[in-house]
Amino acid sequence: MHSSGEGKKQTRNVPIKTFVSDSVAIPMSMHIGAPSKPCVQKGDKVKRGQVIGEAVGPLGLPIHSSISGEVVSVEERLLFGGAPVVTVTINNDFTDEWVEGIQGHGNVETIDPSLIVPIIRDAGICGMGGATFPTHVKLTIPEGKTCDTIIINGAECETYLTSDYRLMLEKPKRVVDGLRAAMRAINVHRGIIAIEDNKMEAVQAMREAARGRDGVEVCVLRTKYPQGGEKQLIKALTGREVPSGKLPLDVHTIVINAATAAAIADAVIDGLPLTERITTVTGAVNKPSNLQVRIGTMFEDIISACEGYSEEPGKIIAGGGMTGPCTYDDTMPVTKGGGGIVVLSMKDAKCAPESPCIRCARCVEVCPMGLDPFKIKNFCLVGDIKGAKDHYVMDCIMCGSCSYVCPARRQLTAAFKEVKTAIMQEARRQKQ
Amino acid sequence: MKLYISTPPHIRTNKDTKRIMLDVIIALLPTTLAGIYFFGYRAAIVLAVACVTAVLAEFIWQKLAHQPVRTGDLSALVTGLILGLNLPPTAPWWLACIGSIIAIILVKQLFGGIGHNFMNPAMAARGVLIVSWPALMTAYTLPSVFPALDAVTSATILSDAQVAANYTYMDMFLGNIPGSIGEVSKAAILLGLLYMLIRGVVSWRIPVVFMGVFAALSAIFTGDALSACLTGGVLFGAVFMATDYTTSPMSRLGQFIYAAGCGLMVALIRNFGAYPEGVTFAILLMNIVTPLLDKYIKPRIYGTKGAKKNA
Repeated sequence: MHSSGEGKKQTRNVPIKTFVSDSVAIPMSMHIGAPSKPCVQKGDKVKRGQVIGEAVGPLGLPIHSSISGEVVSVEERLLFGGAPVVTVTINNDFTDEWVEGIQGHGNVETIDPSLIVPIIRDAGICGMGGATFPTHVKLTIPEGKTCDTIIINGAECETYLTSDYRLMLEKPKRVVDGLRAAMRAINVHRGIIAIEDNKMEAVQAMREAARGRDGVEVCVLRTKYPQGGEKQLIKALTGREVPSGKLPLDVHTIVINAATAAAIADAVIDGLPLTERITTVTGAVNKPSNLQVRIGTMFEDIISACEGYSEEPGKIIAGGGMTGPCTYDDTMPVTKGGGGIVVLSMKDAKCAPESPCIRCARCVEVCPMGLDPFKIKNFCLVGDIKGAKDHYVMDCIMCGSCSYVCPARRQLTAAFKEVKTAIMQEARRQKQ
Repeated sequence: MKLYISTPPHIRTNKDTKRIMLDVIIALLPTTLAGIYFFGYRAAIVLAVACVTAVLAEFIWQKLAHQPVRTGDLSALVTGLILGLNLPPTAPWWLACIGSIIAIILVKQLFGGIGHNFMNPAMAARGVLIVSWPALMTAYTLPSVFPALDAVTSATILSDAQVAANYTYMDMFLGNIPGSIGEVSKAAILLGLLYMLIRGVVSWRIPVVFMGVFAALSAIFTGDALSACLTGGVLFGAVFMATDYTTSPMSRLGQFIYAAGCGLMVALIRNFGAYPEGVTFAILLMNIVTPLLDKYIKPRIYGTKGAKKNA
């Protein structure tokens, strides 16, 4: 297996810079859960941090304007994967004026713990590592369950991405504050910040920031993809295994991404809603960078800020090389979960054709869930959904390791995604 | 702007099937060169005929069957080379030819080509040749850098204790003994194994367990595990033939059982069987067991410990 250091050299030593574009296009669906309901109209003047989309349903989140300016359109646009999403486009007036009523609490250690979860909800925070699960829901412990450990995921095992690394290096205190806020919110006394051993500078920075903070420790993990997978992380740090089909909370654990922790700190300490994030722009661009950008900034603007494509782009990935979805053009906005923009050249973008399986067992060796990918693929090929299910395809975490190592270039992960979707659709049908 | 779209992952290892096969060929080079060094040009001819025939047979078959031609993946070349290394240096060219055709057409292509053969092609072909031309397959010559036309044929060390007494452990280790082209130099085989381990082509499990079980049993049966390991084709078989991906199990436990079975069978055949050497039939037998091992050994899946109790 490749070490997760792959593709990170270009940006790991590039400090975070801020980039603000002329306009932003903010999709109303950036989190798991129902899309938010837009509450502004064309022509409205909005300020930074103003709610432009209202939360809908139990997993809903509010969405805030990331700049101050004028709404120029509220219409459906295609997002990654080709699904139409209502999107609010705003032209920047560059005053960067915050909406009235922004008020922070100054210190995560003194705030009334019962206020923290509502603050996180109102700030529109969801998992910024890519899964985009609403953070306040994660921090609401259902009846009958308990939590004793919160893990901050700073593993950043994805290829190419260095945004979490730079964050931990440059703003370590924010990450620790976010963790402490989460710990206090649900009265947990153990917080672990997990970082892979190819980021020792970040480990050092985090250790310094964590010194003297109650119950916070920094743990160094071996660099091994997918170390930052939620289930792998919990196993490595606590020895606990999340039972098949269950959630981390079933083993008394909550995992929060490092960038999400920093966003929690921003919300609690300064009262700021989630309007910006750090994203790594790398690959075939002239100036690979770690940029702090506003939510809704267009890929094309960001790539221009990185001095354009260095060669003809063949693929643009919204996220890392192993798990990020790829886009069909560069008019996509940065979303709350978008940790990276990776541009692959035409040469790197081409997929080699599948050839016959040579039974080398590499897929079996690398599968972090202990599955038999070659067997499941055979069930997929003959359309035997039950067979795939009986071989635990639903436990596949879509890390892509099997496809990555396959010398025959077989499309393993893609086939599993298809069969998982089919199984979930069938389950939904039966429920109705 | 025109972009490629696919599901992730978007990056792949550069180790494809061809690169792995190339690594196997590189790993086979030391023992190939050692064989040619010890047995001279006749060994080189046997190897060349085996290789060329194997690649040609695959090419022609795939053309005639209207299949995509896959000779570029180098797997046929590997099969031909391994088969050639399994022949005695005195083998006539047509024997190498027939062996390669059996390996590629009968064992590999008729069962579906690369990845689908149920026996190691070179091993199965060697099995057919041993049964069909036993005299030619065991006509070993004494090693000689300049083989004279009247090269003395010798019995394999395995079948004659008197012959064995003529060689030191060092002779056996370096390859200065009679035998098949590729099997004589244990030093060269180990060099190849080292390369394959470093490159991640094979794991240590099959060769180590195979040789370990074999050595232990040989110590019990003969009292001399070292010379048992240094003679015959057991090391070559454990390193280059039992490790064949297609015909060995994919689970770790399966690989342990398979390798132990190989070691056990070689020891039994050598000491109690009709043949002086048992590597061929031991590995073929365990090849056939492989699908069963793959079917019945269930992996330990993350998060399922105790799940059955709850269900």
